[in-house]
Amino acid sequence: MVLAALLGALSPLPALAQERPEFRQSADRREVGTEDTFRLTVTITNPPDGSSLKLPQTEDFETLSKQQSTEMSYQMIGPGPGSIRRVQKWTLVMRANKVGNLVVPPSELVTSAGTLKTEPVPMAVKKGHVEDKNADRAAAGSAPMRLFDPFQNFPFPQDLDDLDEQSPQNIPIPRSDSDLFLRATLDRDQVYVGEQATLSLYIFSRVDLSSVDTLSMPKLEGFWSEDVDSPSQLSAEQRIVGGVPYHAYLLKRRALFPVKPGVVKIGPAEADVTTGFLFAGRRVHRKGNELALRVKALPPAGRPPGFPTGNVGVWRLNVEPTTAQVELGQPVTVKVVVEGRGNMRSVSIPPLQVPQGLRAFDPTITDKALSSKGRLGGRRTLEYLVMPQQTGTFTVPAVEMPYFDPENERYDAARTEPVTVTVVGAPTKVAAGPGVSPEGLGKNVLAEAQTLRPLRYKAAFATAAGPLWERPYVVPVMLAPVALWLGVLGAGLVRAAAKREDPAARQRKRARASRARLAAAERLKSTGEASAFFGEVEKAVVGFLEARLGFSVGGLTRDELDVKMEQRGVSANRRAQVLGLLDECDLGRFAPGAGGAGAREETLRNAMELMEEWGA
Amino acid sequence: MISLLLAAVLAQAPAYYSPAEAEALFNASNDAYAREDYAKAKEGFEKLVAHGFGSGDVLYNLGTTDLALGDLGGAVLALERARRAGGPTEDIEANLALARTRQLDKVVGAQSEEPFLERLALATPESASTAAFLLLWSLGFLSLAALRLLPARQRNLAVALCALSFVFAAPVAGVVAAHVYVRRGLDEGVVVAQALQARELPREGGKVSFEVHAGLKVRMLEESGKFVRIRLPNGLEGWTERDGVGAL
Repeated sequence: MVLAALLGALSPLPALAQERPEFRQSADRREVGTEDTFRLTVTITNPPDGSSLKLPQTEDFETLSKQQSTEMSYQMIGPGPGSIRRVQKWTLVMRANKVGNLVVPPSELVTSAGTLKTEPVPMAVKKGHVEDKNADRAAAGSAPMRLFDPFQNFPFPQDLDDLDEQSPQNIPIPRSDSDLFLRATLDRDQVYVGEQATLSLYIFSRVDLSSVDTLSMPKLEGFWSEDVDSPSQLSAEQRIVGGVPYHAYLLKRRALFPVKPGVVKIGPAEADVTTGFLFAGRRVHRKGNELALRVKALPPAGRPPGFPTGNVGVWRLNVEPTTAQVELGQPVTVKVVVEGRGNMRSVSIPPLQVPQGLRAFDPTITDKALSSKGRLGGRRTLEYLVMPQQTGTFTVPAVEMPYFDPENERYDAARTEPVTVTVVGAPTKVAAGPGVSPEGLGKNVLAEAQTLRPLRYKAAFATAAGPLWERPYVVPVMLAPVALWLGVLGAGLVRAAAKREDPAARQRKRARASRARLAAAERLKSTGEASAFFGEVEKAVVGFLEARLGFSVGGLTRDELDVKMEQRGVSANRRAQVLGLLDECDLGRFAPGAGGAGAREETLRNAMELMEEWGA
Repeated sequence: MISLLLAAVLAQAPAYYSPAEAEALFNASNDAYAREDYAKAKEGFEKLVAHGFGSGDVLYNLGTTDLALGDLGGAVLALERARRAGGPTEDIEANLALARTRQLDKVVGAQSEEPFLERLALATPESASTAAFLLLWSLGFLSLAALRLLPARQRNLAVALCALSFVFAAPVAGVVAAHVYVRRGLDEGVVVAQALQARELPREGGKVSFEVHAGLKVRMLEESGKFVRIRLPNGLEGWTERDGVGAL
């Protein structure tokens, strides 16, 4: 007796419970849609050895996945040895194939002692999707743990919500191609104009995926969009979709900023995907789902006048000069930095206003895009080159940039503080006073400086008259010598013209000269030498002949003279009279004793008769 | 006839300031400048200029005062006028150089210095050049006249004198012509407004070609309404408001 009790106390092996097995099945939902899945759990407690389970099979439902788990527990009840409890659990993800009040048939457990059956599970099936009322509670109880956020500061604070992608539970599994399908999701179903919505495109697969060969993104009309994530390699993460484990591959994540209000539809994406490996690979084409996004207009209440509609997000503004003091002639750079969350490229920053005395040139704009948790943002830096135009202290007024904060659904403004810049005169090279030598030698260094020259302390007030060439007398003075020269020139011409005579006048003139010469000869008649007298008479006759005949008579023989006179129509008597007169002159000049008073008288009379008769 | 009479009367009218008053105002303005009361100094110098006492000295002092005040446009305008009135002097050139260093505009592709004719006009005395030309001109024509009157034996001297006169008269005439061109054919001005927009067309909405700032010396080509067409030293042209440019 004692031995039996001792053996019982020391027995190390608990006995396997040999109770009647418990066998039941239950569903997590009683009302589903044809697009929904539900879980059917079949539980067997302490299944007998050698028993076999027949899970429910019906045309009304399809089984998408099946999982089995076994739990073993050790129980000690009372002073005796404990017992081992074994629980087998089968979890089936099922989906109804038709609408109506259906029944999931009972499962069967065949043992050596007989067949056990569970209760059938009634299921009301409706068309489409029926919301799971238990899902929210389940989700609330399984809030994900927040991970370390490297963007702890603005514009992406640590408490920034994660991208609220559509819950995998809510992603419908397509009736066909349930092993591999393409799904696009939006992180929200309604946004304001200019607010970011994030489009994510995944491939859900229960088969091995080799590559995504082509991907056609939908046309994103009505959006300003930018890639947030575009993996170059396929990277899988485990996702449970409707209770079915899938490998989810992110293909593309894109930030969308709607530009106008309304309901904007996004078409389906398409992809060609290769599954399997090497020679067992198969290429399939998949088309994703359509999406719709409701875009709300910015609220009119509280909207500042002239509000730029692109200023949506959360923004902060800062103004900073490179230096607070600058020399005249040297530029100072003033940086206006706006940073925050939202579409940085659409943000309109008011221009920097500088006071008179400073001049700001067009800024140089630098953008730096930032993103965190799928949210886009960034920093835009406007560098203004400000050139002082005079010395003094100037205050650059505050800059204010209004924006609409979609998270708090109100208008706000980013503001800066006024900035003060002091402009001082440029230092000169002159050290005028003692003790200001750069070398500290105490010498008065006088160097060339570019400073203002002093005023003039004496002034001649007379305004300078116009230039000399503008004086009225300049032109007459210039013209006077010209006129004088022209006058002299004219006088000469006149005189030359006066000297020119017509033949008749010349003849008359020469005839007059000859008569004058004859008058001179008359004065020699009684006083002079005979040769002088006759010579003078001959010159008078020759001159008269030349005047009358128009040719030179000197040098001609008497015969030649006679011929020429005949050619000029001189009568024979006159020719004889001329030749006789000339002979008388020759005789009087050269024959001794022939030039007496009587001969002189007669020759003179003959000459006078010739001139008077021929001149008549 | 009436206008002639009026002009004669005005010409005989006494000056606004007597010489003593002008001297006193000039000294008072200089004293104000010494006290760094530049505004008062400027006011005094401007009064002298406005009432006919704008000699080179007064204009120089006005320009220097403007420069001290930071009125770059007024400073360059007055100093350039002083240079024209009294010729280039060392103090005018120094203050002009200082003003140029403060100018905002840097004309790219501009000539490094003023055109030849302007430099020639600046470097030569205007009245002396004109007098020399008149003398040589007269001498040349008198020699020509003498050639007609003198006997042949004495004509060589006249020929030599005539040739020399005309040989020297030609370049002197060029110098005088340069002065005339600069005075008559060259309308220059200085931008006196802080900033002036030069437009493609002479109207308010015209497309802005470029912008000029106080102190820039420009050439004024033509006027249309309240606009004047300016040309920069590098050839850039545009229409800008006439009031913003002070004529030299």
